[in-house]
Amino acid sequence: MLPKLFINGFSCLTGDATPEDFTSFVELRKLRRAEQISKNVLLCAFRALEQAQLQDPSRVNLGISLAMGAGALGSTLKFMESIVQDGDELSSPTAFASSVHNSTALFLSMFLGIHGPCVVTGQLDASFAGALLTAQQFLAKHMCEQVLVAITEDVNPLLAEVLQKDPHIFDPFVYQSHLPPTRLAGAFVVSAVPTAATQFVLDSISLATTTDMCTQSHPLLPIHSCAHSAQLLADCLQKKEPFSLREQFAGAIFETEGKPYVLA
Amino acid sequence: MVSKKALVAGMGCVCACGNTVEEAFQGALNGNARFELPKTRVDSTYTSKYPVFLVDPAVCEQKPSEQTFSQFFFIRAALEAFEQAGLSPDQLDSKRVGVIVGSSVHPSFHCFEIYKRWKKGPLTSTDIAGLKNYLATPLAQWVSNYFGFTGPFQTVVTACASGTDAIGLAKNWIETELCDVVLCGGTDELTESPYDGFIRLMVATEQRCRPFCKTRTGINIGEGAAALLLVSSQLAEKMCLPCQGYVLGYGNCCDGFHPTAPDPKGTGLQKALSFALQESGKTAADMAFVNAHGTASQANDSAESIAFKAVLPQVPVWGSKSVTGHTLGAAGAIEAVLTLQALNKRVLPPTIGFTTPDEQLQIVPVTRQTSISKQVAVSDSLAFGGCNAAIVLGGRDAA
Repeated sequence: MLPKLFINGFSCLTGDATPEDFTSFVELRKLRRAEQISKNVLLCAFRALEQAQLQDPSRVNLGISLAMGAGALGSTLKFMESIVQDGDELSSPTAFASSVHNSTALFLSMFLGIHGPCVVTGQLDASFAGALLTAQQFLAKHMCEQVLVAITEDVNPLLAEVLQKDPHIFDPFVYQSHLPPTRLAGAFVVSAVPTAATQFVLDSISLATTTDMCTQSHPLLPIHSCAHSAQLLADCLQKKEPFSLREQFAGAIFETEGKPYVLA
Repeated sequence: MVSKKALVAGMGCVCACGNTVEEAFQGALNGNARFELPKTRVDSTYTSKYPVFLVDPAVCEQKPSEQTFSQFFFIRAALEAFEQAGLSPDQLDSKRVGVIVGSSVHPSFHCFEIYKRWKKGPLTSTDIAGLKNYLATPLAQWVSNYFGFTGPFQTVVTACASGTDAIGLAKNWIETELCDVVLCGGTDELTESPYDGFIRLMVATEQRCRPFCKTRTGINIGEGAAALLLVSSQLAEKMCLPCQGYVLGYGNCCDGFHPTAPDPKGTGLQKALSFALQESGKTAADMAFVNAHGTASQANDSAESIAFKAVLPQVPVWGSKSVTGHTLGAAGAIEAVLTLQALNKRVLPPTIGFTTPDEQLQIVPVTRQTSISKQVAVSDSLAFGGCNAAIVLGGRDAA
């Protein structure tokens, strides 16, 4: 049977992490080659793990369930650009390696010393819901004791430019052009049993398809953001009240219910 | 104690060594596969040097224009799985049916041709339609919609381990009673990005790959898909569904070692294999063989050989990528189907291309068709980022 998910720490970020944000967590020079989307999610992970009282994650059996809506877009486009500009014989192998979804998972694993199970989910809006389901499965099957559910989303400059010229071009997908495209990231530390750091409990999680293709408007990014669901959940948690979250995407519905956890 | 066993009611496959499960297994047995230069499939200056493993053009011609090859290959494999199970998707209307698909290329921003045109000028209406299709169709959700299912869905993008992860997670969805039925597998198509990318990483070879061979020179990219219809054993019995085998165990562990190379000691892979064995309730002595990831890259084959010696001593090793190519996100699923076929046919195909033992590896894979009697085997996948996954599979007589 599926366990409830106890949330032991969480953090979300709109926009980009700055060097100053990392001063209490890591030497900055170690981050100099990192992609921005990796730095964003690393910062969220540091904060969430700190809340979860897991300052040294390598000492616990921790898994990673990473959600990336459209993957490492910056590196993907950089690799495409290197082929277009320089020809395929001079294209960037580094950009290719970084364009793979796993590159961000590796970054988290290396920096945090996490060597448990690791799965990456990539399905646009529904990625975060998929990552939560995976975390639940890791815990149900005792593959690890806690899971870092991480989310990071890049801006797609191609889609941003197309949409800024015509916000209705992908109808019925909705784009709110008055808000600039922004990167988003988030991290949640979850377990199947409460810990001393547990703040909330998710009683249920579901992700299902529907024939309804209407979408809610996603105000933060061009078109899609897997991190948007994470931000909605974080907003619910911030209120410290019982909540019922229902988000509908194009053809899919993500639902979860939860409440603050009080140590008995 | 597992409350519900994940039974494989049907399988489907399309890849360079065959257009169906039966054909692909025959291709694996005799080494026949479509291995050629991809001059008509990708726009790259390397196409006169670096061959790949391609799906039959006669199959590719059947692709509907609105689908990508990744979508088309998977649907084709899924339909074969339903046929083998003696089911039509609408017979599952009252059941909780989930979909998990592993892929590497499709879920990335796979719009290179559109990108190239965007760099030169305004996009056409066809380009806009292409982008809209990309935005509207997260792979697993698209598959779920295609068959009219309403259950959970997940597109796994753990690079080259995606197919194995998809099957392992599907097993878990059945065992934890999240679903009654899960359509799972993997799919990937040849595109310019991974084709050029692996060449630029200097791990691709101009020759046909030779897993675990001392003279191995690297990997060949491939394409294809495989689908497995997993059903809880209770439901299979109730619906009188056929049994093609079982998914008995799943393990996954991240090395966190290097962006594109595994931990040379195979530490994460050892943990993944050990967890999968433990979960299945089987030991190395129960294994008929291990279907290796066996890409024929120096680093992969070395790390795998160390892990096999530690966790699967004396277990026969089979490398199948010299007939399928490295099909990236589809690899684990195609290899799972071939593994189940080998268990059910009770014959292990040879590792095509292997000629010379490598004293560094101390592993000699099976090089000729070999009869097997045991009914359990293990298949593993290694991915960029050090993600390792393993599944333990049982033949139809494994119960």
